[in-house]
Amino acid sequence: MKSAEGRGRTLDEAVDAALIELNESRRHVDVKILSETASETIVEVTVIDPAAAVLGTTMPAAPANGKGETARGLVEGLLKHMGVRAQVSVRTGADPITLDISGRDLGALIGWRGETLRALQAVTNVMVGKHLAEGERIIVDVERYRQRREHTVREIAMRAARQVKMTGDAITLDAMQPFERRAIHLALEGDPDVTSSSIGEEPERRVVVGPRKSAED
Amino acid sequence: MAGREPHRGAAERIRKAIALVNSVADDAGDEDITPTEIAEAIRDCLELGEVDEAPNVRRYLGEALDAVSDGMPADFVAMTLYAALGALREGGSR
Repeated sequence: MKSAEGRGRTLDEAVDAALIELNESRRHVDVKILSETASETIVEVTVIDPAAAVLGTTMPAAPANGKGETARGLVEGLLKHMGVRAQVSVRTGADPITLDISGRDLGALIGWRGETLRALQAVTNVMVGKHLAEGERIIVDVERYRQRREHTVREIAMRAARQVKMTGDAITLDAMQPFERRAIHLALEGDPDVTSSSIGEEPERRVVVGPRKSAED
Repeated sequence: MAGREPHRGAAERIRKAIALVNSVADDAGDEDITPTEIAEAIRDCLELGEVDEAPNVRRYLGEALDAVSDGMPADFVAMTLYAALGALREGGSR
């Protein structure tokens, strides 16, 4: 994948510098902030799907991409009304359609335990709803927060599974959000030695990782 | 942050209703939430007097309850509940 480093006084300047070097538009790149000081911002800009970027200039977008672009436009407008300066991009190859919001000081967009992010996602899905098929949803991620959380809970799941295999005792994990519990169930579903289930009521629902009982037990 | 919140009891109940709705939207696959349970959680919020101490909270909760009854998508119900939570916070910070 093509990438370039950009430097500037602001995030926008740094991204623009890298985009000029790549000869690419914002909608086809992923931006990673490498360092940020009061005087300079350094970013790494990666072309997320060169094929899609080239096709996008000559051919109409694929239907899924069209929905993503519609959602991206709406979220960009929403953020503008909120006075938030951020870049919104459609994550390539993601299913369901995922919007990545990146920029500076976006902690407020994530909120306490991701609450504001969830609210933003709910609003986005309501706004884009008429363009989506039944059951189809848009996922909104800010600075890859959700992706990082999923990665973290999968690590927790693997650690818990190792411990269960060693001790034979079940482990109850902390209360988690539904998408986090789902990530754990998916991470452990193929493990022949452990099983996962959930107990308790929302918002205190927890995953229990325990030994899988064989058919003879 | 939750500890510093005004109207904490009401906020917790609204969060519980939101968690139920999000559970439906995210399809964690580990529980079956019925619209009746969500409606019950919203009614639990409406029972608290705290919801009248901040403007619009009762209205948003009422709209969320109507949305559940009308079979509106989970995201719509969630959005309305988040609006209630936001109104509760704003009302409490005055």
